[in-house]
Amino acid sequence: MRQIVIAILGLALLGGALAQQVRIMGYGGQDPAIKVRLLDEVIGASLEAEGITFTYEPLEGDYNAALFNALSAGTAGDIFYIPVETAPGIIATGKVLPLDGLIDTNAFIDSLVEAYTVDGTVYGIAKDFNTLAIHYNIDLFEEAGVEVPNAEDTWESFADKLRGVAALDADVYGACFPAGFDRFGAFAFATGWQTFDATGASNLLDPDFVEAVTWYTDLVREGVAIQPSDIGQGWTGGCFATDNVAVAIEGAWILGFLRNEAPNLQFGTTFMPIGPSGERGNFLYTVAYGVNVDSPHRDAALRVLEALTSPEAQQWVLEQGLAIPSRTELADNPFFLEDTPEAVANAVVFAGADDGNVLGFQFGTIGTDWMTPVNDALVAIMTGQSSVEAALTEAQRDLDALIQRAR
Amino acid sequence: MRTKRADTVAAYLFLLPFLTLLTIFFLYATVRAVYFSFTDYDLFREPNWVGFRNYLALFQDALFLSALRNSVLFALIVTAIQTFLALVMAAVLNQKVRGIGFFRAAFYMPSITSSVVITLIFLWMFQRRGLINYLNESLQRWLPILVAFVLIALVLQVLQVLWERSRALPARWTDPALLVVSLLLAGAAIWLLTTLGMLSPRDVAPVDFIWLQTRDTIPAGAPFWLSVPIPLAAIMIQNIFTTIPTFMLMYLAALQDVPKSHYEAASIDGATATQQFFRITIPSVAPVTFLVLTLSMIGTLQMFDQVAIFGDAAPLRSVVTLAYFVYNRMFPGAQTPEVGFAAAGAMFLALLTLAVVLLQRRLVRSEGY
Repeated sequence: MRQIVIAILGLALLGGALAQQVRIMGYGGQDPAIKVRLLDEVIGASLEAEGITFTYEPLEGDYNAALFNALSAGTAGDIFYIPVETAPGIIATGKVLPLDGLIDTNAFIDSLVEAYTVDGTVYGIAKDFNTLAIHYNIDLFEEAGVEVPNAEDTWESFADKLRGVAALDADVYGACFPAGFDRFGAFAFATGWQTFDATGASNLLDPDFVEAVTWYTDLVREGVAIQPSDIGQGWTGGCFATDNVAVAIEGAWILGFLRNEAPNLQFGTTFMPIGPSGERGNFLYTVAYGVNVDSPHRDAALRVLEALTSPEAQQWVLEQGLAIPSRTELADNPFFLEDTPEAVANAVVFAGADDGNVLGFQFGTIGTDWMTPVNDALVAIMTGQSSVEAALTEAQRDLDALIQRAR
Repeated sequence: MRTKRADTVAAYLFLLPFLTLLTIFFLYATVRAVYFSFTDYDLFREPNWVGFRNYLALFQDALFLSALRNSVLFALIVTAIQTFLALVMAAVLNQKVRGIGFFRAAFYMPSITSSVVITLIFLWMFQRRGLINYLNESLQRWLPILVAFVLIALVLQVLQVLWERSRALPARWTDPALLVVSLLLAGAAIWLLTTLGMLSPRDVAPVDFIWLQTRDTIPAGAPFWLSVPIPLAAIMIQNIFTTIPTFMLMYLAALQDVPKSHYEAASIDGATATQQFFRITIPSVAPVTFLVLTLSMIGTLQMFDQVAIFGDAAPLRSVVTLAYFVYNRMFPGAQTPEVGFAAAGAMFLALLTLAVVLLQRRLVRSEGY
């Protein structure tokens, strides 16, 4: 028995000395399975040849809290996810390795590199990205005799089409509109409004912002759109899968969900409607890999980072319908030209990043707390508890206090 | 002498594992937290001593004041209601009835079910089109029929009792046999009335009471310190539901020790069941009441999990409690953690809990228990 234990320990030590074990910390959910498959099917062999392996450690629950804890305690992985919305805060801890001169950032889409640049230094390489698009239920539009949404739709024509479908039945809705800035913001940007103005302040009483809030919440009050929770769903993808909601405004992440939850749903995808500014609005959502400044295997970690963001890995992720590649060279991807609904959806989401007023899903060092007052206001208006003006005035007050605190 | 010293050493040896854990995870952690509460520590930079600045900042923070109000109201209201209901339920379950074991087990279920699962289920029930609004609507719809049923049954019961008494037979107003007849006859009458179309459910608008996504408070327009946010009331209802059984069990144990002779003596003196409950049951279980009040106060003042699971379903300000405030400042949405500020909040919560328990002990003591 003892010999066996010693032998196992010896082997483990030997293995440890030969192979460099890189730890990656990231989201839970489907990510652990994806990483294992990526390792097994795409990049594992070449890394192994260099004596490098990696393990993926999902942080379940509140990723941000868990990562801050791990970074402070010195237990964070050699590589970790940096969500774009929390990037300024994570980089401000000083625990993220500057990548200038270590990784060639020219190969990646500029706006994605910018989102992870602080004072001219790059701290993260976007693993992929997403934008919002209109996914529509072809059968519902056909049944209602309404033309499906298209790239020429304005807010008005888009709303009219939703009204047409919603008129089908009391249980049928044009769209699910969550009371959250993480989706609504795209419409606010379509008016030309920006999260922070030139002075670094957020103006919620700007006529453009008020117009967007009014349009968005009026559709809910009118009964054309509905909050997901009011039909027992957690998000608009869930609404869409019920077959009773005409459109879902989501990114390419909805594709995997639909494949599992609503495999028979016939859907198409088109661009966000054109707003009053004559442009579309959109969010750029992304997550990057960052390297731990205290990593004992820095070189191996950088090598793994390169492999994870390599063209082969990104092509595989794209073809699995998981996310859109962050490398510019993959822009003219034959996969985007295929005729399947999923390929079309991916192409639209990809093109969305460069069409109209597109802003990163980012709120400076204030982080996602920025959205709380706005979300509260949206709820109050949608449920008829408050007028647009009163709700936004209160939200502006809360937001000013928040920004004041963060400084 | 020697054996005595050996005993002491042995005792400490047995205590050692626990003392070690206590020192590391409680004493050391507490001392660190107290120290941090006087600094501007943020997990990453060296802490600087700032004196009482964090404590002063607490009382200028709108979210903290909401949390303080919510925690205190939550503790007072929930403790009062659940202590009383736990005692009533224990008294009910302390009967010698066939199958009481089943009821005891069934009533205890909410306490052994995971708090997370129950909170999720309640989240669904509190939706705008959830079960609670539906029940409310149904009740309003069927109210005329219900009222008619109760009235008819009441009249029948009175008539029967009077008839029995007119024949010089002893009959109580709540005579079970007569009650069964009254209820059956009332049921038949209602069936007849509805089939004939003389009685029908009312047409009511769907109840659209917003339990969660609201900043409204009850009573509406009350001063800040006395108004309960509606989402917090929803959490109160859920918390009372899940914690009653635990305290009920303690009361049930205490009730088993109350001598039957007291009740027999009271019955002979003509005391009613209600009088017996207030004059015998409540005084007899007073020590357990102190325990229940203390545990309930501590538990409710430190309530965290239900707020955390409610998450985005309700506005933070309407449900935040002191314990959640500490977490929220420790891990704000992507800002650098405010460890010093959060630690000050945690210290305040600890002192508040201690003060409440000491005050309660003094109050209960002075009443002579």
